[in-house]
Amino acid sequence: MNRELRRKKDLLWLLTRKEITLKYKRTILGVLWSLLNPILLAIVLFIAFKIFMRIKMENYTFFFLSALFPWNWFSASVTMSTGTLIGNVNLIKKIHFPRHFLIVATILAQLVNLLFALPIIACFSYLSGKGPGINWLITIPILIVGQFIVTAGICLAISMVNAYFRDMEYIIGVVISLLFWMTPIVYPLRIIPETFRIYLVLNPLTYLITAWREILMSNHIDWRSIGISYGSSLGFLLLGILVFQGLGKKLDEVI
Amino acid sequence: MNGVVEIKDVWKKFPMHRDKPGFKEFLVNLPKFVNRNSNSDFWALKGISIDVKQGECLGIIGKNGAGKSTLLSLILGTIYPTKGGIKVSQKITPLLDIGAGFHPDLTGRENIIINGVLLGLTKDEVMGRIEDVVSFSGIKEFIDMPVRTYSTGMYLRLAFSVAIHTDPELLIIDEILAVGDEAFQKKSREALLALIKEGVTTIFVSHNLSAVKEICRRAIWLDDGMIQAEGESEKVVGDYLRLITHGQ
Repeated sequence: MNRELRRKKDLLWLLTRKEITLKYKRTILGVLWSLLNPILLAIVLFIAFKIFMRIKMENYTFFFLSALFPWNWFSASVTMSTGTLIGNVNLIKKIHFPRHFLIVATILAQLVNLLFALPIIACFSYLSGKGPGINWLITIPILIVGQFIVTAGICLAISMVNAYFRDMEYIIGVVISLLFWMTPIVYPLRIIPETFRIYLVLNPLTYLITAWREILMSNHIDWRSIGISYGSSLGFLLLGILVFQGLGKKLDEVI
Repeated sequence: MNGVVEIKDVWKKFPMHRDKPGFKEFLVNLPKFVNRNSNSDFWALKGISIDVKQGECLGIIGKNGAGKSTLLSLILGTIYPTKGGIKVSQKITPLLDIGAGFHPDLTGRENIIINGVLLGLTKDEVMGRIEDVVSFSGIKEFIDMPVRTYSTGMYLRLAFSVAIHTDPELLIIDEILAVGDEAFQKKSREALLALIKEGVTTIFVSHNLSAVKEICRRAIWLDDGMIQAEGESEKVVGDYLRLITHGQ
């Protein structure tokens, strides 16, 4: 491999590892929290849906978690990367390096949580008797890449815009929770009326989350949803790159 | 063809009012933002052209606010020129704010690795010379402790050691750094001079005029964003001194 390319790879890896290390610095359990957190969340939801709020859908905890864990990767990435550029003023102003690496590293560091949550989902799947199977090995990497693409697009744009308008931080909080309810996470896609579904492509997470749920819950590869989500993901990535490059030229004047 | 840094007619302006408008203000005043009045801009550099040759040491002098730091940042690539072009064909090692990439919660060793890669090495290369970096810094016993527990002196010594061990091709220095105690100052100064003598291209900004005369053969005097004088460092420094002592 070309030396410069190897150096870039090293840099990205080190920045990612730095994010992960820093997240758990000064905690006793360290990276174990990444595993413990989803387990505790699963227990809480299980109690909530079994005892307090008895939802008539079969296996609702599993249904909810299979969408919630991928969603959490997205929402944590967006929330974290909003402040990434302004939080690294020193680095950006004093050292010349690809600035988008900071954003990519933030997203990759958040992926760790999803990876730790997958074994828990696998337990649910095993108990339900449908999986996990060979389909998981094919689909999960495809979905991770697809979700990475759309997340990167959105995070690049938001982190850059936030350097110009710090108001973004507050707007994002609201938009994220709006998006949470507009994405089929707590409800299935099919309860949305047929006539509205065409607009759902605008929400890049709709079909992505649907595809996640199809594979995790039913061990079924939903190629149609994967295709649609890849299409809109690439669109968002393009938009993100344009915003990042366009506004990036004057970044030094605003941070 | 052997110009390491080629700066051609570079202009750089900064907006004068630095208080950032919020989103609401931006929308309300949109027309004003679109055809923004250029009176409120400050031109930090006005048509600078400089060529730096391979192996040369160029000194840059001038008053505060003359545009020296802006020029360095432009060469470094952390800001873009408003007009004009800059070409740099060597790997830059900045000795400006050393330790800028350090994170207080990471250990000295972790910071060496990240900074080494940020300054242009691969991870393997950093690992190969990490012991040299540590021994040069002279803080071996603290190297696996978080940097936030370091004293200012220790912090700067470590940062300097990393920078000097990254095979600099083009050094950018803002003042000869007075790092650490007497002994370390001497050591770091000698290490830098050795690099410059070896033929590492150097751009050296300083208010220490005798150091500029001593180290650099050529010097540039910047004033108000323009080149006031350029040539033999002896002569440029002399002209500059004359203006300071006799000028108003």
